[in-house]
Order: sequence, then structure tokens, then C-alpha cells
Amino acid sequence: MSNMNDDVVIRVENVKKHFKVYPDKGKTLKDKVLFRHRNRYELREVLKGISFEVKRGEAIGLIGKNGCGKSTTLKMLTKILRPNEGTIEIKGRVSSLIELGAGFHPDLTGRENIYINASIFGIKAKEVDERLDDIIRFSELEEYIDNPVRTYSSGMYMRLAFAVAINVDADVLLIDEILAVGDVSFQTKCFEKLKEIKAKGTTIVIVSHAMSQIEQICDRCIWIEEGLILEEGKAREIGERYLASMEEKRLEKKEKEFQEKLENSKGLDEIKSGEVCVEEEVKRESETEDVPKEKLPAFCDSMAVRMGKRDVEIVDFAILNSEGENVLVLHTGEQIEAVIKYRVNVDKVKVDCRFGISRDDGVHCYGSSSYGDEGDYKELSGMGEIHFIIHDLNLLPGKYFIDIGLRDEEQIACDIIKKVREMQITLSNTKESGIVSMKHKWL
Amino acid sequence: MLARTKEILNYKDMIYSLVKRELRGRYQKSVLGFLWSFISPLCQIAVFTFVFTYVFPSNIPDYYIYLMTGMIPWQFFSDSISQGACSVIYNADMTKKIYFPREVLTISSVSAKFVNLLLSMLVVFGFILVSRIGFSPLVLLLPIVLVIEYAIALGFALVFASITVYLRDMEYVVNVILMAWIWATPIMYSPDTLVEQYRWIADLLRVNPLTSVMYLFRDILYYHQYPTTIDWVLPAIWGVVLMVVGSLIFKRLEGNFAEEL
Repeated sequence: MSNMNDDVVIRVENVKKHFKVYPDKGKTLKDKVLFRHRNRYELREVLKGISFEVKRGEAIGLIGKNGCGKSTTLKMLTKILRPNEGTIEIKGRVSSLIELGAGFHPDLTGRENIYINASIFGIKAKEVDERLDDIIRFSELEEYIDNPVRTYSSGMYMRLAFAVAINVDADVLLIDEILAVGDVSFQTKCFEKLKEIKAKGTTIVIVSHAMSQIEQICDRCIWIEEGLILEEGKAREIGERYLASMEEKRLEKKEKEFQEKLENSKGLDEIKSGEVCVEEEVKRESETEDVPKEKLPAFCDSMAVRMGKRDVEIVDFAILNSEGENVLVLHTGEQIEAVIKYRVNVDKVKVDCRFGISRDDGVHCYGSSSYGDEGDYKELSGMGEIHFIIHDLNLLPGKYFIDIGLRDEEQIACDIIKKVREMQITLSNTKESGIVSMKHKWL
Repeated sequence: MLARTKEILNYKDMIYSLVKRELRGRYQKSVLGFLWSFISPLCQIAVFTFVFTYVFPSNIPDYYIYLMTGMIPWQFFSDSISQGACSVIYNADMTKKIYFPREVLTISSVSAKFVNLLLSMLVVFGFILVSRIGFSPLVLLLPIVLVIEYAIALGFALVFASITVYLRDMEYVVNVILMAWIWATPIMYSPDTLVEQYRWIADLLRVNPLTSVMYLFRDILYYHQYPTTIDWVLPAIWGVVLMVVGSLIFKRLEGNFAEEL
């Protein structure tokens, strides 16, 4: 403690923690003796050496995806877990809002449970006496406080528990993901109370996934990833980068799944060799007869809806990005190319080709028709491709669906596929909102 | 060790609350409520008195008083250990989420039983009063005996509670041990009635820390004679040793509780 600066309340130094993971652990004597091999375990490193300091009156947020070690860090701050290596020093009285309603006995009254719960946090009965009115008022349970807790609704139960926990005088307050208590007005109240506590000079450490809450309360934010501190800094900045990276990871995963799906189904190249394709089609058509609901070809999403008389048929579809790759994730501002492969089942046919984009909430964002643009129908025969290029995709990030269709001269549907493909659009650091990006400036 | 004791004392309000919860909560919904903590040992004593009066007649005079002065303290000991052993695992949620000295759980569990013992002793007093045995001034020494028994019970409970976390079998092993233990303690019989060639059994019983405790209870409440020095010293030493060993074992094992549970 001697070299600890007066201002520093929490000092975590090179803390490492690992857990033993037993794939199949024997808890009983029989298991321990007879099945020794079951006692084998793997060491899972949760924290690989993290260090940070928190100054008096500061509020910091720990963020990171599930399993990154942030809750473990918090548990070590409360002394529930001990680090395998490294040291943790905390000055002053620590209180934690990790488990709400600890020790509540369902048959005892709310009032009695306040005392039990508070005592578990190390609060003396005398202090509870002083604060009892505040706690009851905060919980808004004045009328029910002398009823057994088992008669409470779960919301009332949590409100009482939270009221006790938050009315604790502590130098350091540790909070784990529990600000989602009760209805909206109670949440706001808790949040206001937390700000009040912070204003009084209490040091706060919060673990949460709700970035907006962290940004509002915390001065500083620590981003933990795979047991190490990835970044540390102003809550707003770190929060933005964290969210952006989470989104990026999510899209990467989706793209990967999409590419796997492409590989598993027949790729574009294979379809070019028409014979394979025809065989498939024939097989499918025969299936159609006994299965009333039409089976969708592999290039369609499972959500797709298909209709039409099929004198001309869409046999494959792809969206190519500026590098010519068939991808799911596209960027605002990019050039994209839609490729529709068709096969004409009659001699020849005149069609109007259509392309549309709608957002996942159903808003129609864009539509275009070849007849509308060119004033004439496309005459098709045999097999071929229709290309549709958008030079500047200025839709804002979000999830979109693509509709494609072919109609004949009487505007009767030949082959229309709604939601043939999903399209994820992303753009890092955009500050715009809505559907489309527009060139703009402020003067 | 000293620092630890101080920390536990800081949590005495928690012990108080948990004892209260245990006592208030346990019988909250039953009609007879708290009376059950008297009724069940009394019924047990009634059954044993019947058996040892008519089935296997005992030549101990005022047998029901003799039995009571042993059975009630035994009941406390046995409950403390069987429930103390589970005190940590039954509060796993709390242990995993909140910091407090874990000994508090075991201490509360044993203390709740101790409160029961004190109340049951009042019932025993009532019986002694109406019987022809009556009281001697020695009864003033009873609190010391109670404290010694508390220490022994807590020592054992701490050991079993911490082991049970790692080895759930302990919960059942403890009950088997207790079943044998009651016969290894002079509760329903008296070693004085042993025939000459089996006197050594009485010496063997001395190994059991509870034997001396029983002698203390009997001397003070039943025989009205001042206990021998060895009956005072032996259990007192047991009490201190068990408390120290119990807390050391508990302390040693406690570090990984949160991970094990």
C-alpha cells in the first residue's frame, strides 16, 4: 500500500486468472476414486495479465464481448475470486451490485429481508435503521413492505433488492450488468441515483453491454478482449470503436456463412456449364408436381418468395462488389453489379427486367425496370445473363433485401423472386442516419 | 488468524440476521411454527423413555431426566454438524456472487441450532423442576458447559462444511458418522452400569470429546456433583483445538469455494 498514490483507489497489477475446466467432473467420492481420468481438466486462461488503476471518484466501464473476462475481473475486485498471479489493491469500503436479493427469504417480510440482505453486504443493523426510510421510499413498496416477499411480483422483488444495494455508503461501488431492473421509470431512477452517488465522490466500476449507459456515467472505459486490455480511454471514443468492431465481426461472420453456403451449393462456374443445370432443373420440376410448396433453388434465400409462369426462368443470381466477388456485405459508395442468369423455356420471349431493394423493415428503397429505362423490351432466347450495374450504392448501413423479376409484354409475371438475396451494407464511422447517404456539407 | 477473527466479528450483524432468518423462516408457514423445535426432541425422548423403561428396562433412576440431559445437548451437536456441513453448499449462490467471510455461513448455522438448544434447555429445566431431582447451585456452571459444546460443534462443522464443497458425499458420510456417534456417547446408557470386565469401554469412550461433555451435563443437572478436573479440562482442550484446526482447514479450502460451487 505504501507506494500507492493517494488518488488511486483501485490498483490492478498484471493480474492473471485461469479456471480448471473439467469436461466431466466427478463430485462424489465414488467418481473421484473410480473414475480418476474424469478428474483431468484443461486450464482455460481467462485473464492473461491485465493492469489498470482507478482514481478516487472516477467511474470506469469494463466492456468486451461475452467471456472476455470482464466479469471475472469484477469478481476479483470483490475478493470472491483470487487472482492466480498479480496483485489487486483497493482502498476503502467496497460494495458490489453483482447479485441482487442475496439471502432473501420468501416467507419473511420485505422489511426483515432488507436487514438480512444489507447484513450480507456487511452493513450494520444500526446503519440500516438510519436508512430504512430511504430504502423503502426508493423501492416504492411502502404499502407492501410488511408482506412476505413471496407475495411480491418479480419486479417488486428486484426493486426492493436494488433499493438496498444502492443505498449503501461505499468508497468503491462495483456493478455488474444489473441496471436493467424494473420498468423504465424505475430504471431511470436507478440511473439518476447512480449519478448522484458518483457526484458524491464514490469510485464506480461498471460491467455492462449497454454502451449508452456506460457512456453516460463513465469517464473512462476499458475494453477487454480475450483476457487482455485492448484499448483504454474516453468512454465515448472506446465505445464507438467497440461497437464498430462488434458490427464488423458480426458482418464478417455473416459473410463467412454466406460464402460457405455458396460453396456448398453449386458455384457460379458450375452453373455456366448448362448441362448440370438442366439436369437439376428437370429434377426440381418433377418434384414440384407432388410437393405443393415450391422448393427454392440454392441461389435464393430461405425467405424468398417466387412466382410466375416460367416461360423464362431465372437460374442463378449474384451480387458482385467492385472487385467482382459475389459477397453478402457491401459498403456504402461502392459500385455493385447484379447478375441475373436466365433460361428461356419457349422459343423466344420479350421481357421487362426489374431490380428492387427494400430494407428489412419492409420500406421499399429503390426500384428500376429495363423497359422504363430503355423504352423497349429485351428479347431473350436460349440462355444468357442480364447485368445491372449501380455505380454508387448510396444506401446507409443496414440489412436490405433484393427483389428481381422478369415480366412479359403484358406485364404478366414470368419469374419474379422477392427477397432473393439479403444484402448487408456497412460503412465505418458514418454519422448519417436514415436510408440513403447524401453528399452534404454544413456552412 | 487474528485479522480473520476480527473480520468475522465485523460481520456479526450478518450472523445475527442469518440466525434470525433461519429461526423465523424455518417454521413461518407451519401451524405450530416454532413449537416444532421443542415437539420433535420431546417426542424422541418420549419414545426412548418408553423403550428403556418397558422394552429394555434401564436401572437408572428417573431415566427420563437422565435421557433428557443427554439427548437435548446431543440433538444440538448432531444438527449442528449435519446442517453445518451443508451450510456453504446450500448458500452457493450467495457465495459465488458476494464477498463475506465464508465462516459466517457455518457459524450462523451452528448458532441457530445453539439458540434452539438454549430454548430446549428451558423445557428440560421445567421437567427437572417438577421431578424430584431439582436444582443444585452447580447449575450456574452450565453456561461454561454450553460454550464448550458450542466450540466443539463449530470446530467439527467448519471441517465438514469446507470438505463438503469439494466432496458432496460428505453430506451423507456425516449422517452415517452421527448415527454411530450417538452410541459412542453415553446418552441412552451409563458407563457406570458396565460389568467389571467391560470397564475398559468406559475408558475408550473418553476418546470421544462428547463423552466428557455429557458427564459435565449429567454431573451438573442430574447427579448434582462437582465434575472431576479431567471432565472439565479434556473437553475444554478439545473445544479450543477443534476451533483452531477447524478454522485452519476452512481457511485453507475456502480460497476456491467460488470456483468449486
